[in-house]
Amino acid sequence: MFMRPLVTTLLLAASAAAGAAAAPAAERVDFNAQVRPILNRHCTACHGGVKQASDLSFIYRDQALGKAKSGLHAIVPGKPDESELVRRITTDDPDDRMPPPHEHPEGPTADEQKLLAEWIAQGAEWGDHWAFIPPERTELPSAADPWPRQPVDHFIAARLAAEGLTPSKPAPPVQWLRRTTFALTGLPPTAGEIRSFEAARRDAPDDDGAYDAVVEALLASPHFGERWAAVWLDLARYADSMGYEKDAVRTIWPYRDWLIRALNDDLPYDQFVIKQLAGDLLDNPTLDDLIATGFHRNTQTNAEGGTDDEEFRIAAVIDRVNTTWTVFQGITFGCVQCHAHPYDPFRHDEYYRFAAFFNNNADCDLRNEFPTVKVPDDPARWGEAAALRRELTEVSRQVMAPFREAASQAEWLPFEPEHFWDNKEQVDLTTAHEGGRKLIVLDGNAVQRSTYEVVGNSGLRRVEAVRVAVPLAPGDDAANPSEGFVVNKFELRLRRSGNHAPGADFENVPVRFVAVDEANSMFFSPAWGAFPNQFHPRWAILVPETPIELGDDDRLAIVLHQNQGRDGATPPVLQRFYLEVSGDPAWQALAGSSGHRDLVKRRDGIVKSLKDIPGPTMPVIRDREEFPRSTAVFNRGNWLDKGEVVAPGVPAIMPKFDPAGHPRLAMAEWLVSSDHPLTTRVIVNRVWAELFGTGLVETLEDFGSTGASPSHPALLDDLAVRFRTAHQWSLKALLRELVLSATFRQNHAVTPALLERDPRNRLLTRGPRLRLSAEMVRDHALATGGLLSPKMFGPPVKPPQPDGLWDSPYSNLKWVTAKGEDRHRRGIYTFWRRSAPYPSFETFDAPERRVCSPRRISTNTPLQALVTLNDPVYVEASQGLAKRMREHSPSLRNQLAFGYRLAASEDPEPAYLDILAAAYEDARDAYTAMPAEAAKLGGTPEAAALVIVANIILNLDPALTR
Amino acid sequence: MKSKIEHRRSNIASEASHTALLHQTRRHFLRTSTSGLGAMWLATTAGRSFGAAVSGAGATDRTDHAPKAKRVIFLHMAGAPSQLELFDYKPELVKYDGKRCPEELIKGERFAFITGVPNMLGPQHPFHQAGNSGAWITDLLPTFERSIDEVCFIKSMHTDQFNHAPGQLVLTTGTANLGHPSAGAWATYGLGTENHNLPGFIALVSGGNKPDAGKAAWGSGFLPSLYQGVQCRGKGDPILYLSNPEGVTQPLRRRALDALNEINRRVHRDVGDPETLTRVAQYELAYRMQMRASDAFDITREKPATLEAYGAAPGEESFANNCLLARRLAERGVRFIQLHDWGWDHHGTSVDKDCRVGIRNKCNEMDRPVGALLEDLRQRGMLEDTLVVWAGEFGRTPMKENRAGNQNKGAGRDHHKDAFTIWMAGGGVKPGFSFGETDPIGYKVVRDPVSLHDLHATILHLLGFDPKRLTYEFQGLNQRLTNVTKPSRVVKEVIA
Repeated sequence: MFMRPLVTTLLLAASAAAGAAAAPAAERVDFNAQVRPILNRHCTACHGGVKQASDLSFIYRDQALGKAKSGLHAIVPGKPDESELVRRITTDDPDDRMPPPHEHPEGPTADEQKLLAEWIAQGAEWGDHWAFIPPERTELPSAADPWPRQPVDHFIAARLAAEGLTPSKPAPPVQWLRRTTFALTGLPPTAGEIRSFEAARRDAPDDDGAYDAVVEALLASPHFGERWAAVWLDLARYADSMGYEKDAVRTIWPYRDWLIRALNDDLPYDQFVIKQLAGDLLDNPTLDDLIATGFHRNTQTNAEGGTDDEEFRIAAVIDRVNTTWTVFQGITFGCVQCHAHPYDPFRHDEYYRFAAFFNNNADCDLRNEFPTVKVPDDPARWGEAAALRRELTEVSRQVMAPFREAASQAEWLPFEPEHFWDNKEQVDLTTAHEGGRKLIVLDGNAVQRSTYEVVGNSGLRRVEAVRVAVPLAPGDDAANPSEGFVVNKFELRLRRSGNHAPGADFENVPVRFVAVDEANSMFFSPAWGAFPNQFHPRWAILVPETPIELGDDDRLAIVLHQNQGRDGATPPVLQRFYLEVSGDPAWQALAGSSGHRDLVKRRDGIVKSLKDIPGPTMPVIRDREEFPRSTAVFNRGNWLDKGEVVAPGVPAIMPKFDPAGHPRLAMAEWLVSSDHPLTTRVIVNRVWAELFGTGLVETLEDFGSTGASPSHPALLDDLAVRFRTAHQWSLKALLRELVLSATFRQNHAVTPALLERDPRNRLLTRGPRLRLSAEMVRDHALATGGLLSPKMFGPPVKPPQPDGLWDSPYSNLKWVTAKGEDRHRRGIYTFWRRSAPYPSFETFDAPERRVCSPRRISTNTPLQALVTLNDPVYVEASQGLAKRMREHSPSLRNQLAFGYRLAASEDPEPAYLDILAAAYEDARDAYTAMPAEAAKLGGTPEAAALVIVANIILNLDPALTR
Repeated sequence: MKSKIEHRRSNIASEASHTALLHQTRRHFLRTSTSGLGAMWLATTAGRSFGAAVSGAGATDRTDHAPKAKRVIFLHMAGAPSQLELFDYKPELVKYDGKRCPEELIKGERFAFITGVPNMLGPQHPFHQAGNSGAWITDLLPTFERSIDEVCFIKSMHTDQFNHAPGQLVLTTGTANLGHPSAGAWATYGLGTENHNLPGFIALVSGGNKPDAGKAAWGSGFLPSLYQGVQCRGKGDPILYLSNPEGVTQPLRRRALDALNEINRRVHRDVGDPETLTRVAQYELAYRMQMRASDAFDITREKPATLEAYGAAPGEESFANNCLLARRLAERGVRFIQLHDWGWDHHGTSVDKDCRVGIRNKCNEMDRPVGALLEDLRQRGMLEDTLVVWAGEFGRTPMKENRAGNQNKGAGRDHHKDAFTIWMAGGGVKPGFSFGETDPIGYKVVRDPVSLHDLHATILHLLGFDPKRLTYEFQGLNQRLTNVTKPSRVVKEVIA
């Protein structure tokens, strides 16, 4: 394997960090580190991916070197004097000067101008942005320095040495223990864990085994999955509600549980990616694999009245594209929805190639969340449910197969409509010629819940079957669908008298079977339709119980009941269709055969068996088996303005993509292929940020050329490669290396001088000291108060919260406060309603999760203080902590020390105990004078005073940080 | 009469005074904070858009030009009131009442509910001219009418969304997509607050329903979360968890905070993390907020006559109470006060939700509070530097709504994005003025169109900003309230 020597990498890093600072003229100018930032800052807003003013763009080299509208070349390699760019940025003529001084007074500095000229003089070499070049490992320096414990430490040490800095001292063991316990489980170490770790250290101070043992125990803890799932749920935009205006309840918690189990099982990250993006496409997918696809069913569903389902189906597809890029590739691909990327080499059509991977997902913004799977309550029945699901798909195919075969060969005669009737006064059916065929068309308004009756004749004496055919509206195609329709029930009637008009007496003709053109749709025959939109011509065939004998005066009536509601503007009723009949006896033979009857019976039996298994159903990703949609470019991102049709694919700048097999599965495998430059970098960076507070690339969500440059590029690349190779995609292995590193083991204390030198700890001069996340704040208080329920998994719970927070338009949803241990479950199990987040989570910077939230920004506000001081959860936790303190020892001082140790995982300074003891005494005295107040908080004045002190302890800075 | 704005006071312990993050402006971050959020902000901008950010509003002190408005009271009528019943008088429309809508009006148009060919619907309430300005106004708003000469109508508003949630997002954040900061967040980001003991941006919701856009209507989007509006409530704690727990008196709380802060200061001495000092300051701020916010939200301190004028009743969650609170908060220097009323969605799906009875009921609820607010602000000398904005998220059609092909029971109107009326008052807008015009049936704007982006640009301008220069870098773009892709302008014509 090729390895860059560390020294040059460090130099590159240093120059990258220094940004575009001018290099001495003789040195080789580095395009990525020095030139591109200048172009991005001063030029690409007008000469980039969005705008190409004067036909000039600095995104691609061929465009930058080409002839601009003026006929001149901005850049002539080797010849700065002939390069218009150099003239324009240096000229004194305000009309020619770039960037235009009246709008952009801060143009490139003199040094930057010189640098650009020098770069052109050296040949104007271009380079791909670092993040698009696959990472490579770097040779580690020899291990003469005893400080490094893990590979990552060599990079940190080398950088510190280059900066003239040294690492901080190792943290006291319990400081590391708290940091690591939170890092791996999101919880504080228990009193027992602290005690045994301290004992192990005391018994063998030179043996590192105690550290290893703690890490192994924490990695094996079931709480590991809960802690890391909380991180992933932000990315997956997981919520227990559908989002948008109505924000109704959604049952998708089995996905959350899958995530916890997958993380606990250390499912290799490549598999983790593939299952979430394409678990449904694996061979014989297990129920687990289907549940994993819930990842992309966390998109919002819009049930607001008057919204067009097709519009919001597309919005979900767009969200899947953007989320896939943000989560796995750290690229702001969302920019490309409307135009080429402003700064990075992604073309507009490439967005829609990628969208094509998701555009054939079967879901379509329906309130029923179709498609779903049953998740049995009893895990022992999961295999059964998955097998039934597969069998149902197969049997449904078999039911329709012979009819579809016959339909393709049958001869159909036109059925001539003579009369129309409907159940709504406003409906106006008539006939029209369209595409060389006489169609029945809707002339007036489409009316919800319309029943149409068409009376007519075909000249056929013996009708064996009737076909209802629905063409697309003129000009529509698989990329530009027509409004959908649903027929819920078909009837056939026979009018034998001379009076054929609707309303006259009729004989009912029983329908034996309705054969339809889609085996696995969201409707079970006899219901049939294209819903909410129609992408292809469609048909259904009605086979009567017995052939229909028609005399000259007899007329056949076909009755179509349409009862499907729809959020969108136009009701899903037939707007153009035609009817045909067949005299072929084969239809009767097919529908009447015992084989067919058995298959239908079997299908209905499977449906019932599935339904009878106790357990929820949850939305999953599944593709349309038939009638695929095609994907077109949206001009300027507008879904109503479609351009050329595109095939699934990935951007040209990215590694080659082999679309063999199913495109979406191939895309998932491509993401974790060894030459993908971003996937491993993005995940190791995210894990790094969780542990150290800031990513090696600070902009976790943006590795593009306008994102932050990596602070330690060689480390990032080395870790990215080793994550795939040495660590075999194991997140636990990666975490083991990081938490055991000397870097992570440093003391977090900082001096003013060091703070000045490295204010945000980007150089890792010390251990990380971070505020607890929203979930951790709650879990920590409950754990310290002895209240935390260890119960895992299952439906979300509703701990106490103030009244009235769930009021929202058109909703009767109520927050019914949980009873028993469900009041005290870990934060990850709290009901997550997007429009009304659990208030303390929101206050501690949790996002709403309407869309993918790649980074929480930690704040420090007075509203947070109000939560941990006054929220009843924290009052309860304070009461719980006070009780534990009281039970620990009769001595106040021991009680205070014990409480502090539980909350802060360290022994308090004696002075702290003095302060707490004084506060206790004052509170006790105050409560002695007002026993009624004491009773409200904790009982006796002594007990109430201890609750006050416990509340102080839970609000201490060392309690709120890790 | 001089306004009684409470000016900034600083009594935070000196060692922590630089860290009162909640109400700081971005310049304060740049100057003083070396870690935590301030540094985060530095890091996301420094080296890349540092110049742009500072040369934006920051290059000058606070603002780009002298502000005309110091604060904004934004009255959002969720549901979107009908301009055709309230302010946009269309006598021509009477003639078409009940007639089939001409095809050319609906060809190629998309509506939320109307399908096929609807009928036209004439104005459902009489209009008259009022005030010295002679503005046309419905008969339904007699109290508001008394202030009509303070009001500047814009009758040529348009938007690009015709569903409530996205429409309200455009109204409040400038884009139909989630994740963008609301106008109030931008204003707070740009200006901070004048009162460190209260949030700089407060949202108040009338009892009943939240707006369809949800909390995003006062969210901070990609701006740091400290700029998000704090939703305050008329019932229970005005700010969540403001009250001490049962059994904890304020002196006890004070004593506890002293101990807490003392230990935290010692922790800071040992550990050196500046965030610890920030925490000390924030706990002090929370303590003061407990006192000041309780006072600010206590409308029983108002004179009975004032309560009567607003129609306010202590203990309720109502639009009337919120209007009174808006004045109390404005007096205390809250920068952006956003009220959401609801129930203005008059489709006519039932008779009480139509443009006849439904609108009359809503006008009865709104008339006194809004009229009282304008008069109250004027009497206190606050109207001149308080910008009051009244707006729905879009307008209503001149067609009678039919739904899923069926005629609606009541005389209702569908959502309409192409024409609606808003008004502003005070804060430097032209009083007694009307701008823009729609066609004779109120369907399309025919003169001086104003987009919601233009409205945002105008609000920022009145607050002292060049709307193109109040920016924040996110995802590689210098983002701004007024949208980076669609053109927008300050509507200078409405500025006094």
